[in-house]
Amino acid sequence: MKYLDDARDVKFNLFEWLDLDTLLKAERYKEFDRETLNSVLDEALKVARGSVAACNESGDRIGATFDAGKVTLAPGFDKAYQDLAAGGWIAPTANPDFGGMGLPESVGTGISEFIMGANTSMSLTVLLSRGAAHLIESFATDELKAIYCEKMYTGQWGGSMCLTEPSAGSDLGDIKTKAVKQEDGSYLLVGEKIFITSGDQDLTPNIVHAVLARTPDAPTGAKGLSLFVVPKFRVNADGSLGAFNDVVCSNIEHKLGIHGSPTCSLVFGSNGACQGFLLGKERAGLLLMFQMMNAARYEVGVQGLGIASAAHQAALAYAKERLQGRSMTNREPQTGQVPIIEHPDVRRSLLMQSAYCQAMRALASYTGWCMDMAHITEGEEHDRWQGLVELFTPICKAWCSGWGFRVTEWALQTYGGYGYTCEYPAEQYLRDAQIACIYEGTNGIQALDLVGRKFRLQEGKPVKHLLGLAGKTAQDLAADPVLGPSAMQLGSAVKALGAVLTEIPAKDNAMLLTLLNAVPLLDMMGHTVSGYLLLQQAAVAKTKLAALLKDKGVDASDKAALRAALKDSAEAAFYNNKVQAAVLFAHRGLPLVGAQAVALRAGEVAPMETVF
Amino acid sequence: MNVLVCVKHVPDTETRVKVAADGLHLDLGEANWVVNPYDEYAVEQGLQLKEKLGGEVTVITVGGDDATKSLRQALAMGADKAVLCSDPAFEDADPWSTARILAAAAAKLPCDLILSGKHGVGGDNQQVGSLLGQLMGIPVVTVVTGMDLEGTSLMLKREIEGGTEVVKASLPCVISCQKGLNEPRYPSLKGIMAAKKKEITAWKAADLGLDPATLAPSFQLKKMELPPPRPAGKILSGEIPDQVKELVKLLHDEAKAI
Repeated sequence: MKYLDDARDVKFNLFEWLDLDTLLKAERYKEFDRETLNSVLDEALKVARGSVAACNESGDRIGATFDAGKVTLAPGFDKAYQDLAAGGWIAPTANPDFGGMGLPESVGTGISEFIMGANTSMSLTVLLSRGAAHLIESFATDELKAIYCEKMYTGQWGGSMCLTEPSAGSDLGDIKTKAVKQEDGSYLLVGEKIFITSGDQDLTPNIVHAVLARTPDAPTGAKGLSLFVVPKFRVNADGSLGAFNDVVCSNIEHKLGIHGSPTCSLVFGSNGACQGFLLGKERAGLLLMFQMMNAARYEVGVQGLGIASAAHQAALAYAKERLQGRSMTNREPQTGQVPIIEHPDVRRSLLMQSAYCQAMRALASYTGWCMDMAHITEGEEHDRWQGLVELFTPICKAWCSGWGFRVTEWALQTYGGYGYTCEYPAEQYLRDAQIACIYEGTNGIQALDLVGRKFRLQEGKPVKHLLGLAGKTAQDLAADPVLGPSAMQLGSAVKALGAVLTEIPAKDNAMLLTLLNAVPLLDMMGHTVSGYLLLQQAAVAKTKLAALLKDKGVDASDKAALRAALKDSAEAAFYNNKVQAAVLFAHRGLPLVGAQAVALRAGEVAPMETVF
Repeated sequence: MNVLVCVKHVPDTETRVKVAADGLHLDLGEANWVVNPYDEYAVEQGLQLKEKLGGEVTVITVGGDDATKSLRQALAMGADKAVLCSDPAFEDADPWSTARILAAAAAKLPCDLILSGKHGVGGDNQQVGSLLGQLMGIPVVTVVTGMDLEGTSLMLKREIEGGTEVVKASLPCVISCQKGLNEPRYPSLKGIMAAKKKEITAWKAADLGLDPATLAPSFQLKKMELPPPRPAGKILSGEIPDQVKELVKLLHDEAKAI
């Protein structure tokens, strides 16, 4: 399946909008320069468009299969994985001391978007390997780090995250898997885990699981959980593979989408021989696991963006070719059919798709950049960036997956009946996108994390700081002849959100209102932050467009000349379209903030009064 | 074995081509420039020979400063050294002048084998490799899809109309590479970082002992034009038998397809 990217906007985010120079001056990133990072994105895109995209369709149609205890991935996955591993694309941002490449997260975001957009199922193995390895790097003994980290970051071994059990999903406090300490300091694990993405596969000779389990005397609930490293095969002192470690895949799920990714049920220790090693301290497991979950949550947001953008680009290409109906200005039957992209309704949908993709990309790129800023700063400044990262993590995950799915639905609609058939890729994108709203903590759980933890973080400083910045942008652009009306919409959204955040805590039923409205609150935050970032981008694009037109000697007030210049220059069209996307988002997306504020400010609690 | 690989910096084949206002050049201001796709087979072949037999792979191009991007890509794939032949006098170099520049450079870069793509996309002259071999007085084998070393000779498979030709050539020689010879590797992240540190040697006309006056194009470009736009389609009407008759007539008289 051909992967159509939006590398131009990925590069705009990195090279023309974010403050990349501050990063490149820092000791941590001094090895990199703009030219090298540009090559990095180009080469990542080549792999994504090549062998990774080539098996996206076989992943869906044939899928991962399970037979006689063995998981087999679809044809082409092996080649794609080898290309990703050989190229260093498994862990491009990871620590170079353990085989990573140490790239900035803001660059890693672009790489992830390409790989996830080209083949979501394939990308999940990559994501989980580096995530599990990062846990080991952060919390394991030096001995364990030496055994596992480099092999996992370089893709020689895979990894997985084992949390969910049949009766413990969103609430991990009910996990039953047991871990009993042995004389040699290791633990023996017994239990069953379900919904384990890449829990078994045939790409790597070993798979290293990060497993949450309960020690014998541990208290009930989440505070009694500990985190363990559990390899599929034990590892000998010389690093070679030893005996089978009693981790059995008992089945894989049959799912709506991501058929190429094996979602496994794993049985640990059915023969009493499953050895695990503690990470950190006993009973601190969930806290440690959150490190991996937070990184994974951010990446699931990028997944939403990657699939949405791929679906939109495919729909855009189709709309330029598909002939149907007559032109709005000449409806005579004897005139020829026109490409559907000429119809206003199709254009509105396509720009909605594009605007939401750009909004998600701005949010994800900015979050990646905040991670980088947190890496290169200390003290209060570090806390400020880290506070934003933590605030943005659930928003990235839920807002980008939720609206990413919506974009795939709009993209499918662009094709009319053909979009519903397997002849075109739209339906696969739609099916593959939905899971991002569910795993790594459902979007409902993300919303509870936002309103319960992140709003209160650092006494609410990050959220106040952010709304302050958004409000200032609204004021700064208020008098702009092109962006002024959009800035006014941003100002209204900031005001509505600010009012809700002030009024709800003062109400008698504040707790109920917050829990009842967590999802709308997250959506309001997502729209407001993205609208703010998109307007910043639009201001940059507008200046660049003016400079380009000046260079070409085009008078922008002459509409015919402007239209001809935009048709002639892809760069001018790109900047123009960024401005238009921001204007559309401000007028059609941002008002949803005020609309949702109505229910919250009124204190409406109808769902609690309903008898279901 | 030391291998010299000739590469060309070309516009991506997906570039939307426009003729510049002078009608003699293409307006490529917004084009995305890449390594000529056929040259990637040549780089890959050089790297495979190096991995098997030792030695070094040097990539060389004739072009402007922006052509370093293609050299860096070849270095990122694993080439050891790179040479950029760049001089205002080279700007309008035709295939003959390009071959002379490369021959002069090759004389300073002793090697056992010279590889190139079967042709450079865009110009599509398919001349440089052959002219280079002629200038150097060594064998040239074109459109190669298979290569085996036998002593100091190469056994080469060539793609010909409807079949394959097997040719034996003694080293040193010039080989032009065709799709199917190998599968070019993707540059790795490590390779990209390593390429940044590899030096690119720059040679001007004087460094190569070339008199700029002798490098003027041997032909004059008179005009460049895009293919005519596709005419609007026709929808036939009337009774089916009449439509068929009309279709046959149009296919014969207008489209000249039958």
